[in-house]
Amino acid sequence: MQYNVTVIGSGPGGYVAAIRCAQLGFKTAIIEKYDTLGGTCLNVGCIPSKALLDSSEHFHNAAHTFKEHGIDISEPKANITQMIKRKAGVVKANVDGIAFLMKKNKIDVLTGVGSFVDKNTIKITTKDGKETQITTEKVIIATGSKPTPLPFAPFDKKRIISSTEALELKEIPKHLIVIGGGVIGMELGSVYARIGSKVTVVEFLDNLIPTMDGTLGKELTKVAKKLGMDLYLGHKVTAVENKGKEVVVKAEPKNGGNVVELKGDYCLVSIGRRPYTEGLGLDKAGIELDKGKIPVDDHLKTKVDNIYAIGDVVRGAMLAHKAEEEGVLVAEQLAGQKPHINYLLIPGVVYTWPEVASVGYTEEQLKESGRAYKVGSFPYKALGRARASMDLDGLVKVLADKTTDEILGIHIIGARAADMIAAGVTAMEFRASAEDIARTSHAHPTYMEAVKEACLAASANRPIHM
Amino acid sequence: MAQQVKVPTVGESITEVTIANWLKKDGDVVKMDEVIAELESDKATFELTAPQAGVLRIAKAKGEVVPIGTVVCEITDAAGAPVVAKSPEAKPAAATTPTTKATGGVKEMKVPAVGESITEVTISTWLKKDGDFVKLDEVIAEVESDKATFELPAEANGILRIIAKEKTTLPIGGLICKIEIAEGGATAAGPTTSASTAAPVAGDKTYASGHPSPAAAKILDEKGIPAAQVSGSGVGGRITKEDAAKAQVSAAKVDANKTAAASTPPVISSGGGRNKRTEKMTSLRKTIAKRLVSVKNETAMLTTFNEVDMKPVMDLRSKYKDKFKEKYGVGLGFMSFFTKAVCVALKEFPAVNAQINGDEIIYHDYCDVSIAVSTPRGLVVPVIRNAESLSFDQIEAEVVRLATKGRDGKLSIDEMQGGTFSITNGGVFGSMLSTPIINPPQSAILGMHNIVERPVVKDGQVVIRPIMYLALSYDHRIVDGRESVSFLVRLKELLEDPGRLILGV
Repeated sequence: MQYNVTVIGSGPGGYVAAIRCAQLGFKTAIIEKYDTLGGTCLNVGCIPSKALLDSSEHFHNAAHTFKEHGIDISEPKANITQMIKRKAGVVKANVDGIAFLMKKNKIDVLTGVGSFVDKNTIKITTKDGKETQITTEKVIIATGSKPTPLPFAPFDKKRIISSTEALELKEIPKHLIVIGGGVIGMELGSVYARIGSKVTVVEFLDNLIPTMDGTLGKELTKVAKKLGMDLYLGHKVTAVENKGKEVVVKAEPKNGGNVVELKGDYCLVSIGRRPYTEGLGLDKAGIELDKGKIPVDDHLKTKVDNIYAIGDVVRGAMLAHKAEEEGVLVAEQLAGQKPHINYLLIPGVVYTWPEVASVGYTEEQLKESGRAYKVGSFPYKALGRARASMDLDGLVKVLADKTTDEILGIHIIGARAADMIAAGVTAMEFRASAEDIARTSHAHPTYMEAVKEACLAASANRPIHM
Repeated sequence: MAQQVKVPTVGESITEVTIANWLKKDGDVVKMDEVIAELESDKATFELTAPQAGVLRIAKAKGEVVPIGTVVCEITDAAGAPVVAKSPEAKPAAATTPTTKATGGVKEMKVPAVGESITEVTISTWLKKDGDFVKLDEVIAEVESDKATFELPAEANGILRIIAKEKTTLPIGGLICKIEIAEGGATAAGPTTSASTAAPVAGDKTYASGHPSPAAAKILDEKGIPAAQVSGSGVGGRITKEDAAKAQVSAAKVDANKTAAASTPPVISSGGGRNKRTEKMTSLRKTIAKRLVSVKNETAMLTTFNEVDMKPVMDLRSKYKDKFKEKYGVGLGFMSFFTKAVCVALKEFPAVNAQINGDEIIYHDYCDVSIAVSTPRGLVVPVIRNAESLSFDQIEAEVVRLATKGRDGKLSIDEMQGGTFSITNGGVFGSMLSTPIINPPQSAILGMHNIVERPVVKDGQVVIRPIMYLALSYDHRIVDGRESVSFLVRLKELLEDPGRLILGV
């Protein structure tokens, strides 16, 4: 078969790129190694973890806040088998949705491992070894990423597990040791902490979610401790050993001190993800990797003229929505349009409860660049809506330029933060000032009022409810 | 005592002038010899000075065309003048106000009459933004006519309100902008009552002025229009989607999205745009277009060719170019050789240097050689005056001066008028051979081309020589074939044996 565009990988970057290509009139194929479409995000990432996060949150509320709300129930029990089963249903509904969208847009789905024969020819090898070849004018590589193992302790998928296995556990861990206090570690750690596991997090750096604004890490630390998690910040893991029924983790403070020995039944290694390009035959197309990533220019074009790459395999944050934007960008470029991505305004989100979300510059970045800025914060505690739902943890922090009042960053930890950040991104896309938001009516009572109040604080230090 | 100021006699053939600009306002106190107005004749612009100190009373408005000797204003002795009190803005009050003070007055700035035959101008660049505070006489825009580019000075102190956006074409007298007259200078308009910092006020320039919304940014990129060229109508001067959509005059109705989404698969382009772009023709380009077509239609133009062995000139040049540069400060190029040779040949074939004027032929005993200069705005042809009497270094210096001015758009109309013969050098762009078009009302133009090593036969031997093809386009109505061909042959002789240039043989 001959195609205008072939997309390799059907994660949120790939399938969105394919749909946009089809919308623009290209004859499009999408190649997926696994039986279901949707990639990491839909199968073993965002969607299933969110499903479990919600289950665990319901359980947590039933166990802790129902009584206060005036709902008396007998002691709730977490049924992990059912939770995993429900999660599987959610995943299935979503991946079936993608299959439907492919059909609707007349995109050919080719199941198997796609690899380059040359820059215009791709071979697809199915599980049972059958090979077919297609030719294509353009290729979009969207093969995503895989969890990075510790060099000295590869995943055994039984005791030493990645996020993929953590979403499929058959039992509630008694003691889950999480290595890496980043987004994935904190999300899954909080799931199990809420349904009764003892959770210990070991993080090399001195902060949780270290890539985000420091305030968020500090707040998340408080929340995690409240949830009963043990945190070993500034600790370097030196050994992880599967002893059959248990796993032993050794860590030492990076500034010297006594070695900590932790014993648990599962060890989740969430130290990051690495681009996945195995079996792609990039050499046949003439592409070389740079530190594991596929080098691309500003138009996401590789050094080979007809081949593009998007999402986790290229530079930038490994986020589903970033990959989606890139997929649309490439597709529209192929149609001769000139779309744009402002990478500064790709929001970052952590689905713990409370949620963490942020966009723009962190305070640390502003300090480093020497830019004069103002800060406005507003705590959830002072918010009527938050008090009503008893979601009092968290705050909104707004950073604005000292002279122009332009919003430079919005950082939220608290209930609904992930949804709220979108308003901040919109404002920043239009280069709104803090006062612009402060003068924009926000419905009452809502969580978004916290953003408005923080903007009042940032623009002229005049919050109403503080 | 009042003194009337009349239009002075500025030149033999000038009978009337246009009041190009009042540099002082009615009621202003002027000093003796201070420049109060600019007058413009069809030949030149000159300044009108105050014959005595006093209060100015303007009699003839800007833009009016007045005969020599007309009273354009009166200057009243400050002492005996009651006008100071009548003046709407009492000076002392203004002087004591340190910050901007709106006076309520609005100065409308219109397109001044810039020259005889000029009927319209194009606003090429705004140097100040809408809402900026401008000072009197500060240059606020560059305006382009089909002949020249000139600067537009503010006619008052105050806040600039742009009416005609960049690239719009206005007739003489058309409204360009308004200036909300204000005294003082700071931009901090309005009182700072609350602690609120930097509240963006609609219409004022803010940090976000000219920032396109995401959708607008895409549209502008696709049209290839820099955001800086679009004036934003959104809050704080932001560029809205609508602004971007309208940013193109005849924005082809073909929406890129729709074309691409058509049922037939579009041709894939590698990120390269397929969008069309429509731009308004500049006045200069329109004039070029009009004149070139008329030359083709109204003359009997044809072209004759020859070739020159450039070795002798190149040898001479490489031998002396360092010394020449050292002595005169300009490089020795080919232009001086060609110009000198052309002057010798023109003397011998005066028809080539002549022009038709109705039923008469005007012969020139001098050689004003127009040289074609390519500029970002288009082709301009400044003139080297009396080239026949200039030395090599003077010609080279003149070429550099005119070419630089041309590229900067600073050539005056005078510098471009009145050539008797033209030289164009397509060789700098690599042209092998071309048929140049006559620069009317001249009768001939010489086309220089690139120098290429070619095998030629010399004394029965094939040798490699640097050869340049020459083309002479001429108006056959007054130049005969014998003259034009002989003219080129003569050029060839002179250039292949530069010694003849000195001896004139």
